[in-house]
Amino acid sequence: MSSTTVAKPLARRAARGGSRRRKWTTERIIFTTLNTTFLLALAAVMVYPLLNTLAISLNDGMDAVRGGIGIWPRDFSLQNYNVVFNMHTIYQAFFISVLKTVVVVATNLFFTSMLAYALSRTEFIFRRPITVIFVLTMYFDAGLIPNYLLIKDLGMLNTFQAYWVPTIISAFNLIILRTYIKSIPEEIIESARMDGAGEFRTWWQIVMPLCKPALAVVGLFVAVGSWNAWLDTLLYASGNPALTTLQYELQKLLSSSMNAGVNSVAATGAAASGGQVTTPIALRSAITMVAAVPILFVYPFLQKHFVSGLMIGSVKG
Amino acid sequence: MRTTRTKLSIVVLAAAVLVGLVGCTSADDPEDDSGTLTPSDPTTFTVWITSAQQAPAPDNKITKLLKDKLGVTLKYEIVTPDNEDQKIGVMLAGGEFPDLIGTGDLKQRLLQGGALRRLDDMLAKGDYPNLAEHVKDDIKKMSYSGDEVDKGLYILPNYNRFYGDITGGVYYGPAFWIQKRVLADAGYPDLSNMTLDRYFQLISNYKAKHPKTAGAPTVGFEILASTGREWGMTNPPAQLAGFPNNGGVVVDSNNNASIFADKDIAKNFYKVLNQQYNSGVVDPESFTLTFDQYTAKLATGTVLGMHDQGWNFQTATQSLQSAGKDEYTYVPLMPVYDGVKPWYADRPVMNTNQGFGISVSSKQPKKALKFLDIMLSDEWQKTLSWGIAGEDYQVGADGVFSRTDEQRKNYKDLTWRASNRLDALLDMLPKRNGKFSDGNAYSPDDQPAEFYATLSDYDKDFMAKYGKKTWLDFVNKAPDNPKYYPAWNLTLSDDANQVNQQLTDTSVQKLPGIIAGPPADFDKNWQAYVDSIRKIDVKVYEDAVTAGIKDRLANW
Amino acid sequence: MTDATVSTPVTATGLVPAPEPASSSRAQNRKARKNAAKGPKRKITWDLVWAQRALLAMAVPLLLYQILFKYVPVYGWAIAFQNFKPARGSSPWPGPRSLWNQQWVGLENFYNLFTGVMGERFIRVVINTIGQSVLTLTVGTLGAIVLALLLNEVKNLPFKRVLQNITYMPHFLSWVIVASMASVALSLPSSGGFINQGLMSLHIIDQPILFLTEPNYFWGIVAGTNLWKELGWNTIIYLAAITAIDPSLYESAEVDGAGRFRKMFSITLPSIRPTIVVLLIINSGWILSTNFELPYFLGNGLVSDRSETIDVFVLRYGYELGNYSLAIVAGIFKTIVAVILVGAANQAAKRLNQETLV
Repeated sequence: MSSTTVAKPLARRAARGGSRRRKWTTERIIFTTLNTTFLLALAAVMVYPLLNTLAISLNDGMDAVRGGIGIWPRDFSLQNYNVVFNMHTIYQAFFISVLKTVVVVATNLFFTSMLAYALSRTEFIFRRPITVIFVLTMYFDAGLIPNYLLIKDLGMLNTFQAYWVPTIISAFNLIILRTYIKSIPEEIIESARMDGAGEFRTWWQIVMPLCKPALAVVGLFVAVGSWNAWLDTLLYASGNPALTTLQYELQKLLSSSMNAGVNSVAATGAAASGGQVTTPIALRSAITMVAAVPILFVYPFLQKHFVSGLMIGSVKG
Repeated sequence: MRTTRTKLSIVVLAAAVLVGLVGCTSADDPEDDSGTLTPSDPTTFTVWITSAQQAPAPDNKITKLLKDKLGVTLKYEIVTPDNEDQKIGVMLAGGEFPDLIGTGDLKQRLLQGGALRRLDDMLAKGDYPNLAEHVKDDIKKMSYSGDEVDKGLYILPNYNRFYGDITGGVYYGPAFWIQKRVLADAGYPDLSNMTLDRYFQLISNYKAKHPKTAGAPTVGFEILASTGREWGMTNPPAQLAGFPNNGGVVVDSNNNASIFADKDIAKNFYKVLNQQYNSGVVDPESFTLTFDQYTAKLATGTVLGMHDQGWNFQTATQSLQSAGKDEYTYVPLMPVYDGVKPWYADRPVMNTNQGFGISVSSKQPKKALKFLDIMLSDEWQKTLSWGIAGEDYQVGADGVFSRTDEQRKNYKDLTWRASNRLDALLDMLPKRNGKFSDGNAYSPDDQPAEFYATLSDYDKDFMAKYGKKTWLDFVNKAPDNPKYYPAWNLTLSDDANQVNQQLTDTSVQKLPGIIAGPPADFDKNWQAYVDSIRKIDVKVYEDAVTAGIKDRLANW
Repeated sequence: MTDATVSTPVTATGLVPAPEPASSSRAQNRKARKNAAKGPKRKITWDLVWAQRALLAMAVPLLLYQILFKYVPVYGWAIAFQNFKPARGSSPWPGPRSLWNQQWVGLENFYNLFTGVMGERFIRVVINTIGQSVLTLTVGTLGAIVLALLLNEVKNLPFKRVLQNITYMPHFLSWVIVASMASVALSLPSSGGFINQGLMSLHIIDQPILFLTEPNYFWGIVAGTNLWKELGWNTIIYLAAITAIDPSLYESAEVDGAGRFRKMFSITLPSIRPTIVVLLIINSGWILSTNFELPYFLGNGLVSDRSETIDVFVLRYGYELGNYSLAIVAGIFKTIVAVILVGAANQAAKRLNQETLV
C-alpha cells in the first residue's frame, strides 16, 4: 500500500469531518493534563519578561530605579509613554517603519520564493553552484564601509531604496523555503506540467499556494528583521529626517536617556545631569513596549496560514 | 503564463522606477562672505552633531529666533555617541561632509581622515572677534593633536574654556562616598584628614548598629566591576596615594608615567578591601552586579558607601531625592594614605577632543565660522543656555538671573526642551563656561542661588552642621593641574592601547578573586595577579604615556 | 484494516514519508538521489540551457544581484592586511583610492591575533565561543523540537495559538533587558533572586548560590537564557514544517493502533527531519558567531575565563580601540571555519543520506 492510495479516502474524511472525535482514553486524559500543565507553566515563564517590562514601563520612573517590580506597577504612571509619544519624530518614523516592513516583506517573499522554486528543481543544471554561492553569504560580512560605499555609488544614500534594495533575498530564508518546496509531492508538480504549465506558472499558481505555512514563516522572519533594524537607518538614511524609522528614533531616545548629561557632566565636572522627568530603566521599558507591540501582532495574523493538509488537498484536486 | 509575466514586469518596472529616484544635493553658495548673516540673505547650514541630546522639534522657538535674527536655517544630522564611531567611519569613506561637524571624542579620526579645514588662518583675518578671544590663550593646546597631522586649529573645544570664576554646587568627580545618615549617626564627625580605616570604621559601626535598612540587609560597601565602569575598583589606589586622575598611571615629579595596579599603593588598598569583604562589610554580590542592579541598590538606600565618580550614580540620587530620602544620599569623602594630601577633585580640563570643526567640503566656510562666532556672543550664549528672559528666567533688579519652580520643572522636561532649547547644537558649540561679565553663571545649574534654592531642608541642615555652603566645600581644594594634565586623554598607538586594555582586563578579572578570597590567600593571590601583569608588555604603554606627556609639555 | 494490521510495524513502507526509506532500498535510493543531485550524467549543452531558460531567468538575475551586494564589497577585507586608518574617500571607484592608499602589513594582523599574550587569550575565547554556542544550539534545538511536538498535541486551536504567541514573546525583548532580568533572577534572594529563593524553599540548597560568580555555571547560564528568549521563536519553523505532514498518515497509523508517542517518533519527527537537518547544517557554520550581548552583560571578572567570546573580544580590542583590522581578521577567521564546518556537516548529512544544504 502506497501512501497516496491510503491518503485519498482518509483525507476526504479529514476534510469533511474536521478532526474526528476521539475517545477520552485514560492515556489521553493523563497526557493532556500533563501536557497542558507543562505548557501553561512554560507560558508563565515566557510571558513573565514581557509583563515585567510592561509593569516597569507603567511605573513611575524614579520609583522604578529601585527595582523589585514584578508583573504589576508599584507606582502607576504614564510619564514614560508621554516621553515616547511626545517625540515629534515618532509618527513619521512609525509610518516609514511600517512602509519599509511591508515593502521588504513583499519583495522578499516574491524573489526568495521564485529562486527557492528554481533551486528546488533537481533537473536544474546550475542548481548546486547557485545554491553554494547563496549559502556562503550566510557566513561572511564584508564590513560596514564597503557596503556603505556600494549604497552610495548606487545613488541610494538617504533614499527609501536603501532600505529594501540591498535586502531582497536572504540565504537563510531561501534554504527554508527550498526545503519546504522539496517536501511537496513531485506528482503535484508533474500534473501541473502535464496541464502545460511553464515554470513561472507552476511556481506562482501551484507551488506558492502550497507553501503558505513556509511563506508565513519567512514573512514573519523578514518582517521582524526589518522592523527591528535600525543600523540601516543610521548608516544609509540618517541624513534624511523624512526617512527615519521607529527603531532608530527609539534607539536614539534610549541612548540620550542613558547618556543625557553624562557627556556634559563628565566634561564640565560642574553641570547638573541633563534633565528628564523619568529614568533610563523605566523609559527603556516603555521604548521596548512601543517597539515590540506592533510587530507582536504579525504572528497571530499569520497563524491562520499554519494549516495542515494543504498539500494533500492539492493532490486530491 | 501571461498574467504571471505581466505581474512580474510590473514589479520589475516598479523597482526600476524606485531605484531611479535619487535624492538631490544642496547647491553651493556663490558668495561666501564672512560678515553677512542677516535675515535678508538666508543661509542654510548642514550640521552634523554627535550628541546624546535630542533634535529640536519643528516648532522650536530658538530655531525661529535664528531664522528671524540671522536668516540661518540648520539642517541637523544628530548621531548619538554610541553610534559616532560607525557613522564617522562611513562618512570619511564617502568623502562628502556637511558644513559643520561636531565630534564627541573622535577628533583624531576626523583629522587623520582629512575632513576638517584649518581655522587658525581664517581667525587670523580678524573677522571673528569672539572666537579669536576664545582661543587666544589656549591656541597651542587646542591645536595639539599628538599626531602627524599638520599642526593647526581644527576644532573649537565645546566645554571648559572658562571665563571668570568656576561656579557650581555639586561635586561630580571621584570620591569614597558615604551616606549622610552614617555621618549624622556618628554625630557629624570631622571629615578632614580622612583615612581608609576611619572611612570603613564609620561604615562598619553604622552597619553593626543598623543591620537592616527598610527590611533589607544593610550593605556596607559596594564595588561596581561591570565592564566599562570598573573604575570604582581600579582607580582608588592612585587617589589614596594623593595622585590626580591620570587613568591607569601615576606620573612622578620627572614626568615619567608608571602603572600602579601592581604596586604597593594598590596592594594596601586591596588588602583592606579583602579584610572588609571577609568581615561582611563589602557586598558579596559586588562583582556580579550589572549597572542597573547597582543603581537599584543605591536607589533603595541600603548601600552605606562606595567609590565612584559622582555622575555615575545620579539616577540613584535623583530617585532618592524624589522619594524624600535625603539621608540616604551621599557625601564625598577623600581618604588618603599617611602623609599625602588628597587630590581627588581636580580643576576642570578643557575638552580638546570635542567640538565643532568646519569641513573641507563646505562651500561656505566663512559663513559657517561666522555663525559659530555669533553664537559665542554673550547675548546668544545666554539665549542658548538660560533661554529667553522673562519666559525662561527672570532678571532681578540686581541683574541676577533666577527661575520659578515652573521654569525649573520645564528645564528638566525632555519634551519641553525639544521645543524650547537647542540642546544638541549647544552641546557642541564653544561656550563661555564660568561666569558672564555681568556676574551670572554660564548655566542655571551653576548659579549659586539656583543651587541653594533646589536644596532640600535636610540638605540645608546637613550643610549647616558642617558649616558649609555647597557640596564642593566637602572636597579637597584642587591644586593647579600639571601642564600636560590629564594623561588619560592622550592619543596612543594601537599597541599601547592594546596593552592598556589588557591591563584593565587583567584587573577586572583578578581583583574580584583577590578581594573575595580568604585573607590567608591574599599574598598568594596578589602574587598571581602581579605575575599575570608581568606577562603583559607594560613598558610599551608606560613609554607611550611618558612620551605623550613630554610631547605635550613641549607643545602645549 | 482489521486487527491483523495492528501487528504491522508502523515503520513499514508507506506510513513513513520519503526521507526515511526502508533499509532494504536505502542504497538504491541513495544512488538515485545522488544522480538526481548531480543531474543525470549528461553534459550541459546549449540545448539544455535553452530548455531551462525559464529556470535560468528566475535564478540568474538574483544571482548577479547577490554577487553585487554580497561578494563585490568583500574587497573591504583588504583592511585585514593593512594598518588601516579611515581616510577621506575610500571608494575603490571614483576619487582617491584611499582604501588602497594604506600601510600594507601582510599577515601581521593575523600573526598578532594568533600569537603571544593575545594568542593565548584568543584560543580561550574561541573555546568559550564554541562551548557556549554548542550548548546553546543543542539545548535550543532539542527544546524547540520538543515544544513543537507538544504544541502539536494540543487539539484546542485557540489555546494552541495563544500558547504559541506567548512563547515567542521574549524574542522581542532586547538582550540588555533579558540579561538584566536574568541577572536579577540569579542574584541573592534579598536582591530579587527568585531562583535562589525557589531552590531554598524547596530545600535543595541551604545557602544561596552566587551563580554568576561561578565560572563552571556560565556556559549553562548562557544556554539557559538563550533558551528562555528564543525557544518559542525557534519553534515556529518546526511548526510550519509540521503543517506539511499529510494528516492521513496519522489516521492510518491510528487505524494501525499506533499510540501517541509512536506517531511522534515515526511520523512527525521523520517528516520534519529535513528541516532539522538543514537547520543544524546552517547553524554549524554559526558556531563561532554567538551574540556578544549575553557574555558582555552577564560576564564579570570572576567568570571571564569562561564568558569572553570572540565577539566580545573583537568589540573590546577592535572597535573600542579603533582597530578595524582586528575585527576583519577575526571575521575572516570565522568565515573560514564556518565554510569548513558547513562543508563537513553537509557532507556528513549526505553520507547519512539526509537532506543536505547544497
